[in-house]
Amino acid sequence: MPLRLWFPWIRSTRWLFSVRTGIVLLILVGIASAAGTLVLQRPQTEPEKLSAAYSAETLRWLDRLALTDVFHSWWFAALLLLLSVNLVLTSIERFPVAWSYVRRPYRRPERHFLSSLPLQREIPIPSADAGLHAAENAFRQMGFRPRRVEGKESVSLFAERNRFSRLAAYVVHASLLLIFGGALVDAIWGYRGYLALTENEQASQIELREGARKSLPFTIRCDAAGQENYPDGTPRRWWSRLAVLEGNREVLRKEIAVNDPLVYGGLRFFQSGYGSTGEVAAVELRTTLKSNPTQTKNIVLRLGETLPLDNSHSVTLAAFYPDFYINGTQVGTRSNQPNNPAIQLQVQTASASGPLATSKAWLFPNYSALADPDGSAYTFEFRDLRMGYFTGLQVSYEPGQWAVWAGIILMGIGLAAAFYFVHVRVWAVPVADGRGRLVLWVGASASKNRSEFEDRFARLVTEIERKLSRKAEARMAWFREVSPAKTRTEGMVGAEAGEKVRA
Amino acid sequence: MARAMAQSRIESRAEQLHPGTGRWLLVLVGVGVAFLLFTAFLAAVKSGVLFTEENLLYAALIFYGGAAVLYIGFGVTGAERDGRFATAATAIAFLLTTLAAGHRWYTAGHPPFSSIYEMLLSFVWTLAALTLIVEWRYRVRMIGTITLPLATLSVLLMQLMPAAVRPLVPALQSTWLHIHVSLAMLAYAACALSFGLAMMFLIQDRVRTETFLAATSGLLTAIYAGIATRFDPSGGLRVVAWDPANRQEIFFAEKTPLLVVIPSVGWLMFLVLAAALVPLGLYAWAIWNREEKALTWANRSFFVSTLLQAAALGIFVLRAGEGAYTSPQTEGLFATNLAASPFLLTGLVSGLFASLLYLLLLWRRPNLERMLPSAETLDRLTYKTISIAFPLLTLMIAAGAYWANRTWGSYWSWDPKETWALITWMVYAGYLHMRITRGWRGRRAAYFAILGFAIVLFTFFGVTYLLPGLHAYA
Repeated sequence: MPLRLWFPWIRSTRWLFSVRTGIVLLILVGIASAAGTLVLQRPQTEPEKLSAAYSAETLRWLDRLALTDVFHSWWFAALLLLLSVNLVLTSIERFPVAWSYVRRPYRRPERHFLSSLPLQREIPIPSADAGLHAAENAFRQMGFRPRRVEGKESVSLFAERNRFSRLAAYVVHASLLLIFGGALVDAIWGYRGYLALTENEQASQIELREGARKSLPFTIRCDAAGQENYPDGTPRRWWSRLAVLEGNREVLRKEIAVNDPLVYGGLRFFQSGYGSTGEVAAVELRTTLKSNPTQTKNIVLRLGETLPLDNSHSVTLAAFYPDFYINGTQVGTRSNQPNNPAIQLQVQTASASGPLATSKAWLFPNYSALADPDGSAYTFEFRDLRMGYFTGLQVSYEPGQWAVWAGIILMGIGLAAAFYFVHVRVWAVPVADGRGRLVLWVGASASKNRSEFEDRFARLVTEIERKLSRKAEARMAWFREVSPAKTRTEGMVGAEAGEKVRA
Repeated sequence: MARAMAQSRIESRAEQLHPGTGRWLLVLVGVGVAFLLFTAFLAAVKSGVLFTEENLLYAALIFYGGAAVLYIGFGVTGAERDGRFATAATAIAFLLTTLAAGHRWYTAGHPPFSSIYEMLLSFVWTLAALTLIVEWRYRVRMIGTITLPLATLSVLLMQLMPAAVRPLVPALQSTWLHIHVSLAMLAYAACALSFGLAMMFLIQDRVRTETFLAATSGLLTAIYAGIATRFDPSGGLRVVAWDPANRQEIFFAEKTPLLVVIPSVGWLMFLVLAAALVPLGLYAWAIWNREEKALTWANRSFFVSTLLQAAALGIFVLRAGEGAYTSPQTEGLFATNLAASPFLLTGLVSGLFASLLYLLLLWRRPNLERMLPSAETLDRLTYKTISIAFPLLTLMIAAGAYWANRTWGSYWSWDPKETWALITWMVYAGYLHMRITRGWRGRRAAYFAILGFAIVLFTFFGVTYLLPGLHAYA
């Protein structure tokens, strides 16, 4: 009994049960999605761009209708919900019929079925057994596995294939619900964020897409990061060596690359970018004592770091510009790339009597590798310089994704079953035809591709007829050999059998 | 009764049209193909390298073009010989495309799926393969009349695009990308096939020729109205400037290409737009007043508009290829190129193809009807191709989602391409539901299949150029 008669209140919501409503909802979701790609969306667009593209009045209306953020609007969610409800209800209403095909295969056709099945033929047979035997062979030859079904009056044949494909549509619908469910879980409990780490930096907070910050239940540290290039200079690979810390204990270490994330505690860290911070990580210098040029030493300086050279001298990396320019009195950097580095050193000299004497000097490695600060006991030669790099990590937490993948696999199976497997049934029943002759009624039905199945059915019928006639020929030959006079009785066998059935 | 009379009238007309031998067409196409191949060969010998991807593709283009002409000619003459040679030309072109794709795969080290150029290559390959399969397996020879012009157009577009093998950016280095894109190409080619079959169904289903006239004129009006938005007040046509040395568009500012004005071509486009509107108006007049004579005039004016379109295409190709033009944005003279206006060119060429196909229908409908399979077969084949395309679309979206999840940490982000792929999927899902549960057959189903392909085209081209998002590089 259809569900809608069970609950009177459902009558008023009857429209929800129809496939037509489902199609209308599908079209509405389509239109809404299209609108979401044609109207600029707030999450992906800067506010200035939006206000440049639309007038204030238009923008107010677009916002009011949530057209500037269709995919997070309540009405889009409502559409999807209605679609899911419709999917469930239409499936429930149609499911019992499909289930009965699977649960209770119709093995023994009754009289009304014999007369109403569209695809059927009657083949005259000499005896019920000979007919069934020929049909059995023919069925097997066509790839069926026939079963004899004992009835009250007679024995009939039944065979079927791909019964499960009747349920395929429901599998697809269930998979769609699974996907929706997973996406819903992610929409409610999942989050996505961004994290930029420089080498040796650690963090336990990420920046969410909406701009808020979120604390992680653990700490993540970047040990190293890098970029590998193609010969032409375009990036080939970005990688970062990450470590996960629980408290102070290191629990996981992994080198991640694009397409190969780190997964810990349900959170995934994806390599999404890599770049120069514009800060210098370290400058390597060689110092030479002016009074004794053989006394040299290599030192490594970080920005702002002060390093003692001897008991009375120390040096500080005071300033650094990666791509230096000077415009009048203004100095600055053009880019974050070390194209024209400028290094400012400050040398402090302590003397027993007076205050600390400081002297500053600029070092431009592109022009001269040597710096000689006034009054300094040392000269500084530029050796090498390492820029600071940051690695950009996308962080995502999607607890519902497993439902989505399961749903997709289920959908693949369902679609394959729905389109590439046809539920085919064939029956063979010996009956008396309208004129009282004994015939084999052969019928068949297919759940889809009917017109193509008609050809197969025609071949099946010819096959049965051929088997019958061959048998008859063989018998004729035998009769002729044994007693030529008896051949006349051949016609009578059928007649007798016909009598029997009628009786 | 009236229908039977119409039937007999068509049959008597069919008898008058003796199927020609098609010899003249064969000779013409043969000479054309041989001439083009010879000149290309000379140029290749001069440059010293014979078997490059570019040369292979150019040879493929010649054969695709020849096959397209032969297929359309086959529709006109109905000569079996034309059809056979058309198939042979398609097979050769397919072979050349395979070699070109293989060559590219070998030199690049990855399958050709990473730029729109490479994707078109895969699309053409699949389309040609499917055409040959449908011909061989289902004996629908006429399918080439629709798919081959499409293939020719795609290869023509590829000639204009930057073809250099670019190294893959990190995000694209994934097996899932290859799976995703090959599924997409298979699905789109199957959709293109279902579109062709649905069109043929409409012909066999005795949709009135005037309806096709209205649809074609409507399409042309849309195309030329789109082109007319590039009209410059001076009467010229605004196109993007092209830097021939670097083979790329010139940009005025970030994301703002530099426009140049080709003088007086704008007026020409307006003229063609007007010419496309005339048959539409006459058709409406004929329907409104039940005036048969207006239809005759509508068809005549359509013929004129086709000639004008051919002229517009020719003049545009000539003027865009040579000469330097002024720009409204800045001073100086700049060159342009067909490659700078892929949309315009696609619009012009596809409009002309659609018009030619309509004229073919108008003049040779009985012939076509005789050669096409029955309406019922076509209806069934349309359903069949869609029932192949739909699972492929599903898997394509799934593979894309999986790839996105591995690369960006999110399986769905409502990026325009994703969204439009979903819309395509929903249209075909709607088609299948209406067909299976509500028994939609015939015309309504065919219209649905045509709508589905229109959306596929928008997803493939429109979204790439108009709504860039995460898929911007592809």
